[in-house]
Amino acid sequence: MNKIPRTLPRGAGLGPLALFVVVAALPLVGGNQYILSIAVLTLLYAYLALSWNILGGIAGQLSLGHAAYFGIGAYTSTWLFVNLGFSPWLGMWAGAALAMVAAVIVSMSCMHLRGAYFALATIATAMVLKTLVENADALLGGPRGMEVTLLRDAPLYFQHTRKEFYYVIALAFTVAALLINRAILRSRFGYYLAAVRNDQDAALALGVPIARYKLMAAMLSAGLTALGGTFYAQFVLYISPDKVFGANLGVVIAVVCIIGGRGTLWGPVIGALLLLPGEEIARLVSGGMVGVDMMLYGLLLMLVIRWEPRGLFAVFEGWRARRADAGDGAGVIPATEVQR
Amino acid sequence: MSSTLLQALLSGIASGAVYGLIALGLSLQFGVMKIINFAHGSFLMMAMYVSLALAARAGLHPLLTAPFTALVLFAVGYAVQRWLIDAIYRKESAREPIGVLIFSTGLWIFLDYSFLALVGPDNHSVDSPWSNDVLVMGDLIFTYPQIAGLVFASLITAALVAFLRYTRTGRAIRATGQDREAASVLGIDSARIYQLSFAIGLGVLGVAGALLLPLYPVNPFVGDIFGLRAFVVVVLGGIGSVAGAFWGGIIVGVLESVGSQLIPVTYAEALIFVLFLAVMYFRPSGLFGVENE
Repeated sequence: MNKIPRTLPRGAGLGPLALFVVVAALPLVGGNQYILSIAVLTLLYAYLALSWNILGGIAGQLSLGHAAYFGIGAYTSTWLFVNLGFSPWLGMWAGAALAMVAAVIVSMSCMHLRGAYFALATIATAMVLKTLVENADALLGGPRGMEVTLLRDAPLYFQHTRKEFYYVIALAFTVAALLINRAILRSRFGYYLAAVRNDQDAALALGVPIARYKLMAAMLSAGLTALGGTFYAQFVLYISPDKVFGANLGVVIAVVCIIGGRGTLWGPVIGALLLLPGEEIARLVSGGMVGVDMMLYGLLLMLVIRWEPRGLFAVFEGWRARRADAGDGAGVIPATEVQR
Repeated sequence: MSSTLLQALLSGIASGAVYGLIALGLSLQFGVMKIINFAHGSFLMMAMYVSLALAARAGLHPLLTAPFTALVLFAVGYAVQRWLIDAIYRKESAREPIGVLIFSTGLWIFLDYSFLALVGPDNHSVDSPWSNDVLVMGDLIFTYPQIAGLVFASLITAALVAFLRYTRTGRAIRATGQDREAASVLGIDSARIYQLSFAIGLGVLGVAGALLLPLYPVNPFVGDIFGLRAFVVVVLGGIGSVAGAFWGGIIVGVLESVGSQLIPVTYAEALIFVLFLAVMYFRPSGLFGVENE
């Protein structure tokens, strides 16, 4: 599917990134706390979708159990903070490390599965973990969950009463995830992963060490997702098994990425920009009628995917290609190349 | 074996048969089209509400609603496949149609919340003296809905297995599931087979909904529990194996009911998923699967 790309200049693709940061700084200007909190969640999901993209998009392993890593991150940093007084800024790395260990275990047991089987096995893993946490009454608060000790304005402890604080961090997380995705897409590692996605057997026959690269992708993806879990815990200041380990969360992370365009650099961000504000707009439009907001949300999902199963990014690429065609009629760089 | 355990075992078999029936349709769709249909639980919820409406408004016996729910769901399944899923399915050449997965996620959310908006969040159960009647055999007690669930679930599974094995259409369905291109070469219209498989899957689910309603109250989110469990059942039994789905259902039912006698009930749910993971690890084609993908 992917052609071998021509050599791209070192800075290729950084222009859109700079533009993204400038545009993303806009919500900070108004200072409206409601809009900011939606913007924070939008960026968090963009970040999570980008983390998922490494395994689910670029490597094509459809994981629907990323809630497990998210929950591990949230619970690890919160437990270390509440019980031992560790700042979540440190605790989040412990969470990431633990999630990577979990990813190794999951990979050992699930990686030989393909497609739908793999997807279902990852959901099951998250469900087992959720049940274990729900039963850990003494250690983790059981089904009631844990509250993060309130310190109010303590930036060193990843807490602040202003949403701007979280917004800037979420933006930094997202930019970091974009840079990591970009680096992978341009690297040999990324091409190996794409080979695994396109045809696993062919990749194996060509001598790609499939198992090792899939494991590396899974660990990276899991570690990044866990950091997002810590962010969520600090932002909401309360976690429970339902919220951070739920099967729904794992599906939503994947949905955001796929709606945007999996395996692409900007797809996960586009998906989050559509779905998260979309949910809020649906809530406003429905005027508080119970259930109608989520009905519209479901409808939006169906419409987008009915329109373009490869995701919104493919739609934009289609427009660009058509415009370029009309412009000079010369050969257009295939969509898969442009994003690098 | 103590009578509590025996009771738990037999009740587990009875509810497991209904789980198996719920999973049957999913297994058929999964096996023939290789799609993950997340809206399955929502269709079950829909079937239960149809059955409830017929029983409560028209005063039908809960069991007698089954043919009607089956018909309604069959029509819904045909329409959904023909006008919604087919176009997405065609756009994707990949072996794993991710588009359908996302589409069905949207449909799942849409249906659950439509019913929430329409009927509200409360639990409803069918009001019929029959559903509380019990049959006492020595130390053992069974409700009539349990017995009906076991009997009808077994009969319908047997009928579907026979249909797939011995009729021309049934063989065409299996052929398409095994190799779509080869089946097309032999003159089988795959689009029609997909519509039929999806519709049959939902029709069976319609019966399952009518059988489940006297056992379990319905609310707009009832499908979330049963939907996820149906996937476990399908994979346990072996994807595409209809009889396997039935046995997978019974295993899950027994595990749940006997397990909660032996270990704290909060762990019993995890037991099902642990078994699932173990089967995935040691026997990825499922306990009763024959063809390996």
